[in-house]
Amino acid sequence: MSTSRYAKPIARLIEELTKLPGIGPKTAQRLAFYIIENSIEDARSLADAIIQAKETVRFCSICFNFTDATECQICSSTIRDHSMICVVEEPRDVVAIERTREFKGLYHVLHGAISPMDGVGPSELRIQELISRLSDDVKEIIIATDPNVEGEATAMYLARLLKPLGVKVTRMAHGMPVGGDLEYVDEVTLSKALEGRREM
Amino acid sequence: MLYRSEGIILRTQDFGEADKITTIFTKSKGKISAVANGARRVRNRLLGPTQIFTYARFILLSGKNLDTISQAEIINSNQEMRDDLEKMAYGMYVSELVDVFNEEGVASTEIFYLILDTFALGNRGLFPLATRAFELRLMKFLGYQPRLENCLGCGIIPSERIWFSREGGVLCANCKQQFTPVIELSLGAWELMKRLLTSDFSRLSILRPSQQLLDEIEIAMRAYLDFRMERPLKSLPFLMSLCSPNGLTRRIEVNE
Repeated sequence: MSTSRYAKPIARLIEELTKLPGIGPKTAQRLAFYIIENSIEDARSLADAIIQAKETVRFCSICFNFTDATECQICSSTIRDHSMICVVEEPRDVVAIERTREFKGLYHVLHGAISPMDGVGPSELRIQELISRLSDDVKEIIIATDPNVEGEATAMYLARLLKPLGVKVTRMAHGMPVGGDLEYVDEVTLSKALEGRREM
Repeated sequence: MLYRSEGIILRTQDFGEADKITTIFTKSKGKISAVANGARRVRNRLLGPTQIFTYARFILLSGKNLDTISQAEIINSNQEMRDDLEKMAYGMYVSELVDVFNEEGVASTEIFYLILDTFALGNRGLFPLATRAFELRLMKFLGYQPRLENCLGCGIIPSERIWFSREGGVLCANCKQQFTPVIELSLGAWELMKRLLTSDFSRLSILRPSQQLLDEIEIAMRAYLDFRMERPLKSLPFLMSLCSPNGLTRRIEVNE
């Protein structure tokens, strides 16, 4: 969609919004008009929030999740179980696991996964930082990388690296989605679910 | 227009919110790119069939730029290759070679079956051997078959000492000066190379070559493939870091 039919500032706003992921020209246009039609305070607050987030958010020095302090809330918490570290690919994955309210340990964010065909090797990830976190207190590393080929490669690589160091390494289970229909589950997931069955 | 074809997933790339762009080597059309809508969602029916290395029956919808996968049914998921780090690294190397050396839309049933045979032999724990046979045969099917019987320079059958030129063939002692750099091959490696190129693929599993012979062929083929390629393979450093520490990383003896 051409932006030349708009006044220059609107065209610029639409152009900037189109750069965001998942925002096409139509959505960008709707957002732009919404911002313009709303109060100046709302617009300023949005702009401030973006700038503030960009300026203050950095990586936690321990787990490399996003935080606005040197250490994130999870790493500095005394209530959490410091003997378990859950390794994830992205900060978004921490949020997903936190939503379950099941896990009380700490996290480590790798910021990617090994992807040999894209030229991403182990040295591009925060793996050395994970190894330097291992101490006598750490009893278990839970690998929660994505269940796709890159995630599996990362998990196998980490297991190979960590096991000789004497720490227990576990992998998130593969299986059938809750509420699903067995008939429609693909062969690979089903065979993994059979493999990982447990006694009732 | 809808069409059906068997195919092997060579690579996938995330696209949009939950879609994937897959590179498939199909039996009827050769290499194609196809979108798998929603294939990153947990309950999507294309999630399983669009995993790398999967051999499946596809129903595709042809498009202007990209085709779209409409349905897919797994024939062999090749899950063993995703459960073992070495097999995975070899599989990615094989897939990338196919991807790099093939243009879209050029059908080759020979290459299609070569990939399947290589994966099958590799899954039996013979990936180093299968990969060397794959490299030689891929070059043959693409029209770059290295000349292994006679000397590349003068045409005689070399005896006693043999060298391999990255330009694609063996050399006798008299001709090796004309082609630099060259790699010396043992008689055993020379014989094995010829068998890897010509023997029936299903019979390769009975071969039990020494690591030394496989290393020699690996170095020769690496030089030959590098000479033919425009850019280095991305999957190679990872494979090298896992496998054959005394193979690929060994110094190539160059006759200057």
